[in-house]
Amino acid sequence: MNAVYRWVDHTAELELRVEAASEEEVFREALAALGELLRERSAGGAGEPARHALSTSAPDRATLLAEWLSELAFLAETRGFVPDRVESLSVEGQELDAVVTGVHAAPPHLVKAVTYHRLELREHDGGWHARVVLDV
Amino acid sequence: MSERRGRMTTLRPLDETLWEIPASERADMRVPARLFADRAILEAIGDDRSLEQLQNVATLPGIVDAAMAMPDIHQGYGFPVGGLAATEPPDGVVSPGGVGYDINCGVRLLVLPVSADELGARKETLVHEISRRAPSGAGRQGDLSLRGAELDRVLREGPRPLAERGIGTGDDIAHTESNGRLDGADPDAVSARAHERGSGQLGTVGSGNHFVEVQRVERVLDESAAGAYGLTAGLVTVLIHSGSRGLGHQVCTDHVKLMDAALDRHGIDLPDRQLACAPISSEEGRRYLGAMAAAANFAWANRHAIAHSVRESVRRVLGDAAADGTRQVYDVAHNVAKLERYEGRELCVHRKGATRAFPPGHTEIPSDYSDAGQPVFIPGSMGTSSFVLAGREGSMRRSFGTTCHGAGRRMSRTRARKQIEGRELRSRLEADGITVRCPSNKGLTEEAPFAYKDVESVVEVVERAGLAARVAQLRPIGVVKG
Repeated sequence: MNAVYRWVDHTAELELRVEAASEEEVFREALAALGELLRERSAGGAGEPARHALSTSAPDRATLLAEWLSELAFLAETRGFVPDRVESLSVEGQELDAVVTGVHAAPPHLVKAVTYHRLELREHDGGWHARVVLDV
Repeated sequence: MSERRGRMTTLRPLDETLWEIPASERADMRVPARLFADRAILEAIGDDRSLEQLQNVATLPGIVDAAMAMPDIHQGYGFPVGGLAATEPPDGVVSPGGVGYDINCGVRLLVLPVSADELGARKETLVHEISRRAPSGAGRQGDLSLRGAELDRVLREGPRPLAERGIGTGDDIAHTESNGRLDGADPDAVSARAHERGSGQLGTVGSGNHFVEVQRVERVLDESAAGAYGLTAGLVTVLIHSGSRGLGHQVCTDHVKLMDAALDRHGIDLPDRQLACAPISSEEGRRYLGAMAAAANFAWANRHAIAHSVRESVRRVLGDAAADGTRQVYDVAHNVAKLERYEGRELCVHRKGATRAFPPGHTEIPSDYSDAGQPVFIPGSMGTSSFVLAGREGSMRRSFGTTCHGAGRRMSRTRARKQIEGRELRSRLEADGITVRCPSNKGLTEEAPFAYKDVESVVEVVERAGLAARVAQLRPIGVVKG
């Protein structure tokens, strides 16, 4: 199964859905989705190459996925970081450690926050499914 | 007469503008859910999840009377947008999701001593100058970069430290809800990450539905109240819509996480994690209220700084007399939780996309507006009219001193983008006499007028319900979007 993401229509917010073969792929694909969202709305040029290490933790994997996107949204707002690729990723127990690459550009302050509303990360039909609602 | 909704929810009319879902509808509802609306608005919300979300609010521990929503209700996360809940201390809860991420998002109205006719062709220059001086914040910070003790003083005191530096005036502060300062603000409850997000953002508008709009007073509907507010037909007004920016977003993020982790300890079971809450008297509840007050004060300082940028733009384009004569009508919050007294009880009133609307004679509104009532500003969608309202007595009896906050979205951003190209929307707005400054065509189309409900029907419902009354109609002539 190739990992795929899609944005679902929501009256006021953005709902991200991801399907992937593994839990780790869900995390990678969620980064790709956020990167694409920010890239298509960034003003100005391509930006300077950038690399960030990040770590976060949460009591369960669904919350850890929300925290992962929250970390990336924080970097976007405070450093102008538009993510492109996961260089390394470790998801073990309640901890996530990653190195991500992308560019420092001027993305809009689009994602106010990553919510817990209808948050989901579960295994079904031999694959993994995730749903995350962003406040924009 | 009752109406079955898409998810088999029973809505029964209590009168011509108020509808109720009884508490018996769901086992977990502690109180009824009530919605101010007419049939057209009920149709507009269709089968989205807003009524289900309103019922979820009715499950909150310590909620008083009813979970309520205004006619601009639409689906959000946790609370519906347009939602209202009053809870009673000490055991009643406070919910960060009941305020939202953009703490003290709100609107401020300025009136210039200049008519739209006198402004004439200089409008283009004025709109451009405002867009230059009040940046969105992406890629460019505001001119006020505050850190450490300076930032914490703003978190404690709101715009006052800015006025001491010649940014804005004491009269602006006197014409701001709560005088631009909530008591109990605790900068120590605001995380380092929230401080970092906010440090370069004072004076920035933000993106999404935030804007600065140049308008003309199109119509005065209540001469007496409009006179008190300094509004006469033809004058130029500027409406500022922004909030606490990244600082407030981070405060909400941090405290939803803390409260979510403490739900079991407090014995709270919720139908939606985004309603995460804690008793007002608990450590988590007190810390959140201190952090939220700090973010609310930051938001008032932010709109204060944007208003200063507008005044300086007026000075550059129209001269000193016009700038010095530019007066702040008022500033209202529409995402906040406040301790207020109703019938002798102190309650924590959560307003998420809803506006305080105190009636004439209330002690918490400026003395020069005592006869008119508290001003309320209802932005329309980009390209349509906005309204100035005045709070009415009915709000105290029926809605914890609250009315609506805007038109309310009816269409998703994706659907709005598919309806029209950015270039075409710009052309249409320009053809209607509205100068547009927006860096993103996508951002522009997402906020297209047709993506929102008809603001006039929303305002008509709250007027018929006795919550607020129309004072003036404002027509856009220029818009700056983040």
